[in-house]
Amino acid sequence: MGVIDELTAEFARLPGVGRKTAARLTFFLLKRSPDEARRLARAIDAVADRVRHCSRCGNLTETDPCGLCEDPRRDRSVICVVEEAADVLAIERTGQYRGMYHVLAGRLSPLEGVGPEDLNIDSLLRRLVGSTGGKEVQELIIATNPSVEGEATALYLQKLVRPRGVRVTRLARGLPVGGDLEYADGVTIAEALSGRREL
Amino acid sequence: MDSPPSLVCRELRLRGFRNYPELDVAFPPVGAAIIGPNGSGKTNLVEALYYLEIFRSFRGAADEQLCRFGDDVFHVRGRFEDPLSGRSLEVTAAYDKRRREKRVTVDGVVPDRLGGALGRVGMVVFSPSDVGLVSGSPSERRRFLDIVLSLNVPGYLAAVQRFRQTLKQRNALLREGAPAGVLEAWTIGLVEASAQIMAARARWVSDHAGLFAACYERVGHEAPARLEYRCSVPAAASPGTDVAEALTAELERVAQREREQGITLRGPHRDDLGLAREGPDGWLDLRDFGSGGQQRTAAVALRLVEAATVREARSTSPMILLDDIFAELDPGRSERLLELIEETPGQVILTAPKPSDLEVRRGALTRWRISSGKIVAAA
Ligand SMILES: Nc1ncnc2c1ncn2[C@@H]1O[C@H](COP(=O)(O)OP(=O)(O)OP(=O)(O)O)[C@@H](O)[C@H]1O
Ligand SMILES: [Mg+2]
Ligand SMILES: [Zn+2]
Repeated sequence: MGVIDELTAEFARLPGVGRKTAARLTFFLLKRSPDEARRLARAIDAVADRVRHCSRCGNLTETDPCGLCEDPRRDRSVICVVEEAADVLAIERTGQYRGMYHVLAGRLSPLEGVGPEDLNIDSLLRRLVGSTGGKEVQELIIATNPSVEGEATALYLQKLVRPRGVRVTRLARGLPVGGDLEYADGVTIAEALSGRREL
Repeated sequence: MDSPPSLVCRELRLRGFRNYPELDVAFPPVGAAIIGPNGSGKTNLVEALYYLEIFRSFRGAADEQLCRFGDDVFHVRGRFEDPLSGRSLEVTAAYDKRRREKRVTVDGVVPDRLGGALGRVGMVVFSPSDVGLVSGSPSERRRFLDIVLSLNVPGYLAAVQRFRQTLKQRNALLREGAPAGVLEAWTIGLVEASAQIMAARARWVSDHAGLFAACYERVGHEAPARLEYRCSVPAAASPGTDVAEALTAELERVAQREREQGITLRGPHRDDLGLAREGPDGWLDLRDFGSGGQQRTAAVALRLVEAATVREARSTSPMILLDDIFAELDPGRSERLLELIEETPGQVILTAPKPSDLEVRRGALTRWRISSGKIVAAA
């Protein structure tokens, strides 16, 4: 396989990119200056090199702990629990939330073999105990997607956390059912945040 | 009496659907009688029309089977009109079997989700295979309930979709013997969706049992018949009970068995409808003890109740599609069914293998002849 085919095959592995689009991307790059293509290659290289998961919240970051975890202006009494790092971005874009995050890296789905042990739940429970042994965290906002799987994950977490005396809330149902938080618009997310309900 | 608004089909266009390479027909507002021999495409035409109501085959055929042999794509387009208000509606559906892709438009717009486009016209099909509603397995009656309620009760379809997904997940957990804490998270969602479904089923049956009995009696001219909801959680069948509570209690009771068998044992997937007629010594289940004609009469009564449900829920008179149903009923029943249909407004599209003396819409239906996928001429 030649290098052109190789690149096309790599593009085709990206989500939402079919073979035709992959070929278009390849030829687009070939038509631009070699510098432009190298810039893209370097950016991908850097991401692969430097980005990892924050050991506290599971978010994607270049520094560990991540900027959000280190930011002294953020409200440490609230943690918003999301399925994926992309959801953190979606909520940050609204500019309406000043608390902390926790990224589960998935949701419960027995059919796909995903159980509690496959999610970042232990690290979440450790955060609730708090480094000083005190009760720093007072509220957990569970912002998993409004799908059947997201709801079950929320209920599971609620059962787990409730005995620890932490208030557990769920995003209001303004979000489209079955839709992903990642793709919801900012206003919808902001409304869902402000109208959150007790689980 | 003001007749309710109703949409009638004015034009139907088929491309590559079943045995129709190309068909363009213009229907009169009252409807049409389509006469043609076995295998000429009568049921296929009814299937195509009703496809625009639920975007699936009413006979339960897979979309691939609807593509004409040798074709990869079919198109169905219908133009509908309310003769009173002049309101019009265009619904199209296309399926590409290579890509396994369905495309639906309503007035030229692709709906956000297919569920939102269901039942835009209002149609009810009467078909000889309806006898399976009475003689067949419970799953056929659940399918009937799910279609009727999805089309007529807001939120029902979404609850069914949530229920099915949750059920698959929960069964996977039961199979792998997951701990109670994990199972519980899914049980709550299952109960919530189930309760919504069961409450809607219970309400529909209790609201329509009387009408079912009346229709059966009117068409059958014989002993009364009964429609009842055989809920897998008996306590939940009577209206007014807290369905979620009853189901939760019942699931706790069978928890051990669920773990042993690795499946969810109570819920909407285990419900049934009971259809019975009065015998000399009490009620006789029509599935086991009904004659062919009695079973057909009960099936017709269910369809009449379905039509009434459309009228109540959507304030519109459904199109009535009668696919060769009179051959299976005795002359008395056929005539009394026709009388009932005459009493209600709505376009009638009727098919039969040969012309009969039955007068539909007082003989006002245009007669067409159909032969190997072509509507050729007035009969
Ligand atoms: N996908 C398909 N492509 C082409 N022809 C098909 C397809 N599916 C079914 N047919 C043909 O359509 C014909 C059946 O049509 P249909 O069921 O509408 O007949 P009908 O007029 O209702 O007959 P009957 O009076 O026996 O009920 C059969 O000849 C069958 O081979
Ligand atoms: Mg037929
Ligand atoms: Zn972090």
